[in-house]
Amino acid sequence: MQAHKNRLEDEPAFVLHSYPFRETSLLVEVFSRQHGRVPLVARGARRPKSAVRGLLMNFQPLSLSWFGKHEVRTLHSAEWQGGQPLLQGTALLCGFYLNELLLNLMVRDDPHEQLFDYYQHTLQRLAHGADMASTLRCFEKHLLQELGYALLLEHEAGSARPIDAALSYRYIVERGAVREQADTPDGLLVAGKTLLDMATDDYTDAQSARQGKQLMRMLLNHHLGGKLLHTRELIKDLTKL
Amino acid sequence: MKTPSSLEALIAALRVLPGVGPKSAQRMAYHLLQRDKPAALRLAQSLAHAVETLHHCAKCNNFSEEEVCEMCRSARRDSSLLCVVEMPADLLMMEQAQCYQGMYFVLMGRLSPLDGIGARELHLDRLVKRALEQPCEVILATNFTVEGEATAHYIATLLNAQGVKVSRIARGLPVGGELEHVDSGTLAQAVLERREVAG
Ligand SMILES: [Zn+2]
Repeated sequence: MQAHKNRLEDEPAFVLHSYPFRETSLLVEVFSRQHGRVPLVARGARRPKSAVRGLLMNFQPLSLSWFGKHEVRTLHSAEWQGGQPLLQGTALLCGFYLNELLLNLMVRDDPHEQLFDYYQHTLQRLAHGADMASTLRCFEKHLLQELGYALLLEHEAGSARPIDAALSYRYIVERGAVREQADTPDGLLVAGKTLLDMATDDYTDAQSARQGKQLMRMLLNHHLGGKLLHTRELIKDLTKL
Repeated sequence: MKTPSSLEALIAALRVLPGVGPKSAQRMAYHLLQRDKPAALRLAQSLAHAVETLHHCAKCNNFSEEEVCEMCRSARRDSSLLCVVEMPADLLMMEQAQCYQGMYFVLMGRLSPLDGIGARELHLDRLVKRALEQPCEVILATNFTVEGEATAHYIATLLNAQGVKVSRIARGLPVGGELEHVDSGTLAQAVLERREVAG
């Protein structure tokens, strides 16, 4: 076989989502450590006897090889890496939520090695029964940070003045926290303690957990540009029961 | 050369089939028209007939010509068991295995949040209504894909909230399967879900 110039071997990767493609193939959106989000065609992956059929599972660490010089590349081989228990129950829905965020916010072919490692760490936490709400908050914060929209949690917007746990602030999108005053009706009202807790990923305080969720939701909605997250609806429906 | 409009319409119509692109649709159209006209006519008639006469069974949601399908009317089936499957093909597999005498509910799909298919799109309210019609155990036989698992979890939560007993079919090595030839994921999960053997 001719050696491909545009060939990549044994890349650590996760499947974010796959779609049926042509008669028997799959189009797989993967998140690879070295190359970020990459679309791959898995030829024949929907045939009953396909070797990769059972392998290309979401949330499982894989080692993938692919080739091609166009946007959509061709999967050559996939290997199971193991060590990640299958996500079950609500943790599985949380996994879908992570993937929906990544698919909506991460552009193709833009490497994010640290985010990849944090994603893997988050899946481990979910699989081992960690508190789901705080696990998601931590991931959301790291995601925005990696994509260049880091939250300003320790200092007031546009100043070096540290956030005071005892004060109230208003968090304004793309600016940060400003002290609560009569003439600043914009932004989301948050306690200084919430911001400092978020800086250290500590959601043990019920108010920090609640306000942290509101703040992350406001920021994510802004970056999603009004796009609705289906998994958020599903998790909301389920936890209402 | 310009394609006649009726041929163009046929090619466009064939493209509604999953996995059929413009090339395959064209090939199918030429085959039907050139090689086997009687078959083409039969296809057209049976398609029209099926679309007109088939609807969803009021009980199991499978395709049926009657309000309630034959299987759901059968007195020989055990109405204390209700098995939930994704597709009609899964129901047929269950029947072939001859391991189950209960009733069915066919979802006609699965939850797939990343494709925008949620509880509403899947009409899970109809399943809940069906499960509450009479006391029964619900057996979840959705696929062991991530979507199938999510669907099973969602339905279990829905039904547990209504006090319905729910179970999930087990997964593991295939019968007659050898460890050497089984895929890593199946083996890993089988080890995780191992059970005690009484000595
Ligand atoms: Zn029926």
